[in-house]
Amino acid sequence: MTHSLHRSGSLESLKNDFVWFMYQASGINDKNIKDKALQFIAIAEKVNSENWGDIKTGSKLNHDIEEITNKITDNSRFRGVFTKREQVVEFLKELKKRNLGLSVIISGLLDEVLIACKEANVIPHTINYSLGVWGKKEILPEEDVLAITTMCGHHMVASNIVKEKMEEVKSGRKSPEDAAYELAILCPCGIFNQVRAAEILKDKQINNKDKLK
Amino acid sequence: MVVVNKELCTGCWTCIPYCPVSALKKNEDETITYVDQDICTKCNVCIRNQVCPLEAIEEQPYDNFKNEFQHLMSDPTVSTKGTGVPGRGTEEAKTNDVTGRFGKNEFGICIDMGRPGIGCKLREAEKVAMAVVRAGVKLEGPEATPIAKIMTDLKTGKLRDDLLETYVLSIIVEGKCNIKRLPDVIKALKEVEKQIETVFSLGIVARVDENGDTPMFDMLKELNIPRPFRGKINVGLGRPLVED
Repeated sequence: MTHSLHRSGSLESLKNDFVWFMYQASGINDKNIKDKALQFIAIAEKVNSENWGDIKTGSKLNHDIEEITNKITDNSRFRGVFTKREQVVEFLKELKKRNLGLSVIISGLLDEVLIACKEANVIPHTINYSLGVWGKKEILPEEDVLAITTMCGHHMVASNIVKEKMEEVKSGRKSPEDAAYELAILCPCGIFNQVRAAEILKDKQINNKDKLK
Repeated sequence: MVVVNKELCTGCWTCIPYCPVSALKKNEDETITYVDQDICTKCNVCIRNQVCPLEAIEEQPYDNFKNEFQHLMSDPTVSTKGTGVPGRGTEEAKTNDVTGRFGKNEFGICIDMGRPGIGCKLREAEKVAMAVVRAGVKLEGPEATPIAKIMTDLKTGKLRDDLLETYVLSIIVEGKCNIKRLPDVIKALKEVEKQIETVFSLGIVARVDENGDTPMFDMLKELNIPRPFRGKINVGLGRPLVED
């Protein structure tokens, strides 16, 4: 599953986009994980993870945290987003201190995440590198749409609904934040970065205002 | 499968933009919506998010393996029996610090067929799987990855003939190989990408040193592949830690 790996967008925008994962390995350390998962979530909340969830229940954007945590089972996998490298550093430092024993993964720009690892004094073990999109690329939607749809790597956020929200923002019928939220709740696992999406939508609004001048 | 209840649909078209593959369509006289079953991947975005204000979109039980498999590959909230992982995926690099699935002289390959957001017929996945196998990749088995469940021969990457026209939102071809074979695999992918009607997103998994470096970078450079700038980093906090 590589749904966080292949995000599109400008380097400047991607600098504000990190995905975290908590993963237990089947048959190795996957029993009685609830207490560890709760600690994991508490750390993510402490460093203000903007969105997170369990794909079986949904994300914290449209579910109570209590509802998500009440439904934790040994099959639950948590994941979420950060928008600043400093959050990643604090998150990793705290997880290292707690030594929960579950695998921790951070997805993002290598230059950013590797520095965060150094600052948190953790040593990367394995990396899944993105080598981009191959094949019939001419059938892909335009880049600014992809920058948003790829924030839900499972592609539960359709390009047409992104275009619709872009139009609503451009015309002033909806704020970038509200439009980003409406897109984010379509992603059931909580890795959609609604803060970054709002920034991208805001750029569309600004560009449109410039055109109208 | 997903259907539109003709009695309830009023043709407001609210639902149409939510479908990732545009399978929700206006009928001929533009009075109501219908689901184009040839391209619906059973991802259930429309059901899960209740995109119809009148609840006219309904889910009916899947009555055959093909539809069940489509649903499994396209709806990430469903878990695969065997891997236990939600969606069509596997643990791949995410737990490599404790599984040691990918060793120091190996690389892993994750080919996300149909991503981003296009979808693909299984025939396309078969082409790519067979190409990388010929180049030296050993594909993951059914205990690790769902596509292996529909392979008639794991050693060739051949899929079941009766499923080749099946359309899914995405499916992953996964395997591993000795790192020396990386150039052969990349060359095979460069060739097969010209033969498919969809896209794929490519991930290469490698063990790294403490700076996040791998000898793979030099090999990629020789193949005119730009140095990757995005990655998913397993930070080595899983226990017991595999260090070999």
